[in-house]
Amino acid sequence: MATEFVTAIKTNDIPAGGITAVDVRGTRVAVTNVGGTYYAFDDACTHEQCSLAEEGEMSGTTLTCMCHGSEFDVRTGKVLAPPATVPVKVYPVRVEGDALQIEV
Amino acid sequence: MATRYVIVGASLSGATAAITLREEGADGTVTLIGAEHESPYERPPLSKAYLRGEVPFDKALVRPAAFYAEHGIETMLGTRVTRIDPSARFVELEDHRRVPFDTLLIATGGRNRRVSIPGGDLEGIYGLRTVRDADRMREEMVAGRRVVVVGMGFIGSEVAASLRQKGLNVVAIDPSKTPLFRVLGEAVGQTIADLHRAHGVRTIFEDTVAAFEGTRRVNAVVTKGGLRLECDLVVVGIGIEPAVDMLDGSGIVVDNGVVVDEYCETNVTGVYAAGDVANHYHPIFDRRIRVEHWQNAIKQGAAAARNMLGKRVVYDEIHWFWSDQYDANLQYAGFHTKWEELVVRGRLDSASYLACYVNDGRIDAAVGLNRAKDVRRVMPLIKSRRAVDLEQLRDEGVDLRSLHTSP
Repeated sequence: MATEFVTAIKTNDIPAGGITAVDVRGTRVAVTNVGGTYYAFDDACTHEQCSLAEEGEMSGTTLTCMCHGSEFDVRTGKVLAPPATVPVKVYPVRVEGDALQIEV
Repeated sequence: MATRYVIVGASLSGATAAITLREEGADGTVTLIGAEHESPYERPPLSKAYLRGEVPFDKALVRPAAFYAEHGIETMLGTRVTRIDPSARFVELEDHRRVPFDTLLIATGGRNRRVSIPGGDLEGIYGLRTVRDADRMREEMVAGRRVVVVGMGFIGSEVAASLRQKGLNVVAIDPSKTPLFRVLGEAVGQTIADLHRAHGVRTIFEDTVAAFEGTRRVNAVVTKGGLRLECDLVVVGIGIEPAVDMLDGSGIVVDNGVVVDEYCETNVTGVYAAGDVANHYHPIFDRRIRVEHWQNAIKQGAAAARNMLGKRVVYDEIHWFWSDQYDANLQYAGFHTKWEELVVRGRLDSASYLACYVNDGRIDAAVGLNRAKDVRRVMPLIKSRRAVDLEQLRDEGVDLRSLHTSP
């Protein structure tokens, strides 16, 4: 299925270091702001499906899911620390004016 | 000559050690010997998602089965070690074969405590330690059946929750005043009792099992308090004891598990222990601690491997674990046995709180119900061993990361 960039949220609504969840065409996507660079990834942790917007915490580009301590690199989705073993899906993003667009 | 690394116990801790040895450049052979037949796996799902049939066994594997051979780790599964001779430097297997080693890790974990109660050998009475135990229990988990859960520690509590989630009728019995009483104390334990009752568990505290009744198969549990609980099956979760019988006569010091120092090393040079079996000296708490949890299995396995490679790494992790019951996420960090004050953020009678076990103004440990972030944020305070401002600790408006501490 073809993907396209969809306007998801105003960049102003994503504070630095914060994580916000948005619905993008029926997919729950979490977005974060690492020093002005935005990253988007599935909101559900791959371990036990905790909401990463609610239970996640950022340190640099490392996302920790506080539910069980899994760590991911938000640039690639790669697992940095267990118990998760499956990478979190990441989505391409781009900034258009004051909006963040996510490719889904 | 290249070093022969042997790991007894193909557990989470043992497997993590083997993987770490390879990742960090072990020059020599790495042999992982385990009594269970399965490739090394993690146990947390066994009382939760795997027990409920929600995830396949593969998801619990530490690594895919093929990983070990591909990474130069020899596995000997379904193989029990019966004896360790640290001076002649070999371990002996059930069939009397000997496997020589230069450096050894003992990661044998524990085995379920047995009940010596009349009727304890009837059919339909289950313990839970291995995936095979979980598989046997799963076959019995039919909605509407009546279960008595004996022991409301972490395994009993999680199993009780899973059984309720699968629609079985659950009665839970424990000699203490509350679930998790020994670790968490009465006030916090009471909240867990409430959680189970809210989900339909009948709880019986301060009573114990006098006998299991039945002819071939258990059909009732009789308590010392005089109750008779009819049931279709029983789950016993009364703790584990460290698996150390292969150490008899070895000269390796055993006292509530294998005694090791902060480098995970036993009294015998070149022989290490990690995971549930290791009673380790913890430099932050200045005492020995034996921990039966997932995080310790991984972190101590890795630390032991680094020390086996001669890196002299102190193991001083702040112990942490979680326990998911129903939709509640319970987490604990630190270590405590007693406490002068229980300082609570939020309210114990609510769905979310952090309770800190405080001595001399210091947080020794904390438990959070649906408070994962607070548990994480309190860990540096536990590690600092500094007295904290208890009013701020109580104040939900104060971010735990900015709490005042004494110098």
